Amino acid sequence: MNADCIIKTNDLCKFYKGGAIKALNGVSAEINKGEVVVVIGPSGSGKSTFLRSLNLLELPTSGSIMFDGNEITDPKVNINIHRQKMGMVFQHFNLFPHMTILKNMTVAPMKLLKMSKEDAEAKAMQLLERVGLADRANTYPSQLSGGQKQRVAIVRALCMNPEVMLFDEPTSALDPEMVGEVLAVMKQLAEEGMTMVVVTHEMGFAKEVADRVIFMDEGVIVESGTPEQIFDNPQNDRTKLFLSKVL
Amino acid sequence: MEWFNNWINKLHETFIVGDRYMTLIEGFEKTLIITFGALIIGVIIGTIVAMIKVFAHNSPKSRILKVLDVIMNIYLTVIRGTPVVVQLLISFFIIFISAKDGTWVAMLTFGINSGAYVAETIRSGIMAIDPGQMEAGRSLGFSNIQTMWLIILPQAFKNILPAIGNEMIALLKETSVAGYVAVVDLTKAGNQIKNTTYDQINPILLVALVYLVMVMLFTWLIGLLERRLRKSER
Repeated sequence: MNADCIIKTNDLCKFYKGGAIKALNGVSAEINKGEVVVVIGPSGSGKSTFLRSLNLLELPTSGSIMFDGNEITDPKVNINIHRQKMGMVFQHFNLFPHMTILKNMTVAPMKLLKMSKEDAEAKAMQLLERVGLADRANTYPSQLSGGQKQRVAIVRALCMNPEVMLFDEPTSALDPEMVGEVLAVMKQLAEEGMTMVVVTHEMGFAKEVADRVIFMDEGVIVESGTPEQIFDNPQNDRTKLFLSKVL
Repeated sequence: MEWFNNWINKLHETFIVGDRYMTLIEGFEKTLIITFGALIIGVIIGTIVAMIKVFAHNSPKSRILKVLDVIMNIYLTVIRGTPVVVQLLISFFIIFISAKDGTWVAMLTFGINSGAYVAETIRSGIMAIDPGQMEAGRSLGFSNIQTMWLIILPQAFKNILPAIGNEMIALLKETSVAGYVAVVDLTKAGNQIKNTTYDQINPILLVALVYLVMVMLFTWLIGLLERRLRKSER
């Protein structure tokens, strides 16, 4: 494992119904520090399962995951500690509807990092400022549009100072006119050097922002390379077929 | 209007002479104490039982949870499978045999009984929360229990508050059997007055009226609460 590598999966498998359904069928991948990796593939290809297993929201059937030098798939490991360093953004935002935006963002740093209320709120406000939502700090999630909710979800994860950000189809539930504002925040994050793993259908984003693109199908990594390699010169027939449908 | 005057005289004789109305007021207090005490105990027990059942459902591999789940199922089956009066008799005459004041025994018994019914309400309230909420909590680094406490339960309680209110109404009426274990609650107080005054009608009707007014009041309050909740953030 090279020094820059922050996540390394080894032969990751996830089977359902006793092996009848193979969502992941031996996925080995490395994510380096500061790298933006975009995972693409047809629906049911296992790309979301792969992403969700990186912080063990899906428990792999077999295989191992190294994160920051620790094997987090070891049952003895306290996964909660490691999840603090892996921010996650969901397709459906999953903001906490009973808390204000500010509380959504400060609850985890205060309870888990033992940050003071003042520090947590100052950090939250600073992040909200960055995504242009500082004036919404004291409103509830239901009062925001989808794009605003997702921007809040991103900064909520950032409040924990994560080393990696995982994005699970962050724009798939958005109205088309709101996709851009969310992608802009993600792009800015990438430019600041955040390590990101992004599952998305936004090929434009993949081309523009990704350092590396992984194409998955039927639970395996079919092809992986720079955006140019994957989009302009795909080697595998399945990659070609998929790209011909989405581009 | 002679019958009316007669009736007023009768009421005076029954309730005012010998300050017998005080028995009713004390009984009313006992009924309220038992009801609210039992409700609190019931909600605490119900929450714990519901959480164990949900956790056991979510992580089928855990042995400890499996054992706890079996124990909870036994509790639910026994409590829901026997009449509350019988449970009260068992509590008072078999388990808490040395208890002098039946009030606490009654409160505890009704609480344990209510917990079995509240548990199902709370469990369905928890299950109704989007699983994404648990995932979001866990992804931030909260444990299962922290996520449940900080994120799931507050939302679940908001949804089931009206159902808890209805449980309170049911409890209020159920506690009328507390007289079985020497507790002078509202019903028992009315019955005592009936026995001392030989007035077969008025004490019982008054007791009924008090229950009715209480239930109507609670129903109105729950309705108010429901409208309030519907209007808020969600």
